Amino acid sequence: MMNTDIEDLLREGMERFTGELRAPAGLAYRVARRRRRRLQLRSAAAVAAVLTAGAVALTAAGLPGARDNGVDTTAYVVKRIDTALSAAEPGQIAQLTVTTRGPVLPGGTAVTTSAEEWSYGDQWRSVTYSSAGHPVYDEGLSKSSVYTLVSYVTRTWTRQSGLGPPAATLPVSSPPAGPRGCAPSVAAVPVIFRFGLPGIGLPAGSLLAGSLLAGSLPATVAKALRAAVSCGTLTVAGQQRVDGIEATKLTSRPGSLLSETIWVSPGTYLPVRVVARSAAGLPALSQTADITWLPPTAGNLAKLTVPIPAGFRRVQLPQAVTPILRQLPPGPLPKLPARCLAATRLVPKAPPLLGTAMPAIARVRLSCLITSLPRRG
Amino acid sequence: MAANRSAAELESFLAERAGHLLATAVLLTGGREAGEDLLQTAVERLLRRWRRFDGDPEAYLRRTLCNLAIDGSRRAGRWRQKERLLRTEPGQSQDATGDVDLRDALVRLLLQLPVRQRAVLVLRYWEQLTDAETAAVLGCAEGTVKSAGSRGLTRMRELANDWTDTAAMCGRNGNG
Repeated sequence: MMNTDIEDLLREGMERFTGELRAPAGLAYRVARRRRRRLQLRSAAAVAAVLTAGAVALTAAGLPGARDNGVDTTAYVVKRIDTALSAAEPGQIAQLTVTTRGPVLPGGTAVTTSAEEWSYGDQWRSVTYSSAGHPVYDEGLSKSSVYTLVSYVTRTWTRQSGLGPPAATLPVSSPPAGPRGCAPSVAAVPVIFRFGLPGIGLPAGSLLAGSLLAGSLPATVAKALRAAVSCGTLTVAGQQRVDGIEATKLTSRPGSLLSETIWVSPGTYLPVRVVARSAAGLPALSQTADITWLPPTAGNLAKLTVPIPAGFRRVQLPQAVTPILRQLPPGPLPKLPARCLAATRLVPKAPPLLGTAMPAIARVRLSCLITSLPRRG
Repeated sequence: MAANRSAAELESFLAERAGHLLATAVLLTGGREAGEDLLQTAVERLLRRWRRFDGDPEAYLRRTLCNLAIDGSRRAGRWRQKERLLRTEPGQSQDATGDVDLRDALVRLLLQLPVRQRAVLVLRYWEQLTDAETAAVLGCAEGTVKSAGSRGLTRMRELANDWTDTAAMCGRNGNG
């Protein structure tokens, strides 16, 4: 085929591809509004940066109020992170690239999985990838609580509405122990580190310490991070370069059951990376989450939607979950305390194990199990 | 044009040209939403300097769209690669009817080309710029534009030849 033919065909293809496009009305107004919002956010961040610089300078100068090298700075930085996360919700979409390494069962061989996640208000989406980088599962919850699961393994998809509110908002029967709702019980981590099973494996964002400490699953990544930083277990440990920025590093105190390091942007105070590792003596588990905070533009909000690939077959939810359950290793799962079974009953229309509300139930049960485990030491 | 431009002037310019620029942005990014984001970001940059802007706003926006698309692609390369896997199954048509035209196939191939090569083809065949004008927009040598365009067209031609061979085998009309 001649070059000119190709050029003509390409031109015609481009015209056809863009033929129905119309620029949104009031583009200049929209852009001006978006710019105003961004400037407001930036000025808030700049004020925070100036204040922190002041706090650090006070610490360095040994002035009153900064007598203990690190303690006051930590309190100040934690406060700023808390404020930034509070402002980021529901203003920004958290996009996470998560790498998890650990055994499916304690003592088993370590497996590495990766996932991409998005969290915005009650909406979330999680895509689990195989070690070769191919999508395995894609699942998410829409604004109207419609759960969608696409399995690239069985080339099927399912959609279920009426699963109720996200597990995080469901009450767990007794409050978690510890100061400010911080109950560190991470011995159950192997259970939830289970190979990214949709409906059973939790969105990785919920594995951040916040969810473990707060006693129930977080509705959003921002909430989980807020819980983690406000538990008072983190200390500022200097600056470190992460993805080209000089980030502030916070680490958990020695003796914590879950060893955590969080890096926050010095400009916005939003976390940019979280690394969690199980303490010595527990099954070796680690998780790294790189976080990007995205504005809720149409393009970014679209990332929260689970696309259904062409040619995939629609099945009922129980049918979709059964092959996933078969991946569970043989042997009994830890016995659920009675109060966890009671929590399960709070899920609307609670059915048997493979019933329609399986994902919500599994999440409540696991979150309850985690918070029920005895504290170590 | 004289400086100290009014907001109404920008609105009227966008009312006239935003549709075409949106098409350019969509071709550069491969999707409507991503294209809209890209265009909004470019317009925001123009808006920042609009009052004192002295030049051709369309040329400025075109250049900004290309630069943003190339920079964005560099930053998000890994993620986009994964996202593409989610959207397209290997060997599987996105078109539910299976009735895919060679023109559509060429555009799909265009969207899979490296972003700089794609930008060259969009500027040459959509914006209808010359090699020299394309080189000026992309800030590179004219020779680079020629070689990138040639590489892109070679891939297109290979696809078209495969397409017509397959169509002949299947007794289908390759010209759609």
